[in-house]
Amino acid sequence: MDIKKASEIALMAGEILLSNGAEAYRTQDTVNRILRSYGYAGECMVVADGIILVIEDEVNGEKITSMKKVNKKQVDLYRIELINSFSRSLMKEKPGYDEAVGRLKEIKNAPEFSLFVRLSAACLSGFVYALFFGGSVIDAFAAIPVCFVTYLVKVKISEFGFFQFFENFVSGVIIGLGTYLLSIVFGAVNMDSVITGGVMILIPGVVLTNGMKDIIYGDFTSGIARFFEALLVIAAISIGVGAVLLIATKGAVVSVA
Amino acid sequence: MSLKMIILAFLGSAAPVIFFNIDRKKLFYAATGGALGYVCYAYFFEKTRNAAVATFIGAFAVNIYSEILARIIKTPASNFYVPGIFPLVPGYTAYRTISYMAEGRINTAIVMMWQTLTIGGAVAFGIMLSATIVKYIKHVGQKTKKAFR
Repeated sequence: MDIKKASEIALMAGEILLSNGAEAYRTQDTVNRILRSYGYAGECMVVADGIILVIEDEVNGEKITSMKKVNKKQVDLYRIELINSFSRSLMKEKPGYDEAVGRLKEIKNAPEFSLFVRLSAACLSGFVYALFFGGSVIDAFAAIPVCFVTYLVKVKISEFGFFQFFENFVSGVIIGLGTYLLSIVFGAVNMDSVITGGVMILIPGVVLTNGMKDIIYGDFTSGIARFFEALLVIAAISIGVGAVLLIATKGAVVSVA
Repeated sequence: MSLKMIILAFLGSAAPVIFFNIDRKKLFYAATGGALGYVCYAYFFEKTRNAAVATFIGAFAVNIYSEILARIIKTPASNFYVPGIFPLVPGYTAYRTISYMAEGRINTAIVMMWQTLTIGGAVAFGIMLSATIVKYIKHVGQKTKKAFR
């Protein structure tokens, strides 16, 4: 196969991995494995939001550099799994350029859970984590509507394509506001447990842990970037919640006085 | 450790992983991993009263479980350890850190931040150590196979 076509296939697979939350070393491994199965030796460097690949053409001694920038970021285990089995299948048989690109495009458009299923999952996880961190059953039931609205709004905002900080800040504001309103209407609601249940659906635990893992494996550039990305998201959520709570409690004090 | 908490840990790792688009045939195995990790965590937390050590052992158990399952079902181990560590990751303490900072209680915030870093590091280190051990065993197995051929 042509050297440019091989590098394009490898980079496409790497892009899907990186934009769906795979670790840096896994992306590097997969890109190298695909190149090797087509008979090229390349050097590949993965940073937080891009892949740089250098291949030496043994025929005329040229070095070909290619790069791919990754913009969209999410965590998607199913696509990582599909790419993994794709790169494993390359060891047995080598599909041509058109077939390989077709299979990669198929992976890119792999099915996702419907919005209804994801919303129910959001409600269930809010319910579970409100109980898990020591809330009462009333708190757990109060977390259900809060999580429903929060997740719905978050999905709608991310369809518009605002930056991440804003998205999480608004989600935090909604959690704080919803919890405060519920605690006014039903006096028995403990705000701390409800907020915890709501926050757990937004917390980027996977990004935090993957960042730590990258750092431990020695991929400092992507590890530190991911770690701080997670911290930024957590900060945005907490600032949103904190702002509402601060205004709500201080406002109540002023009106009484 | 009570049955209620184990069931909560089971559901608590099954529900959020749906956002991460897991293959639905593997949902049950993933949730079992979460329950297993929590059982290990709770048992050692009762014994040692040290959250970092207990979290480390919980994450270690989760990853051993997911590596074994990954060999059986032939899929990346991350399918099982990502949901499995959900009840263990320090999301709650991370949130408390920033909210104490917003309230201006810096001393409490620093204590919380230290806890977040310790527990997050324990999770990552538990996963990394068990992954390394599994890799080493595989490596040794291949070497001995070659030697006896």
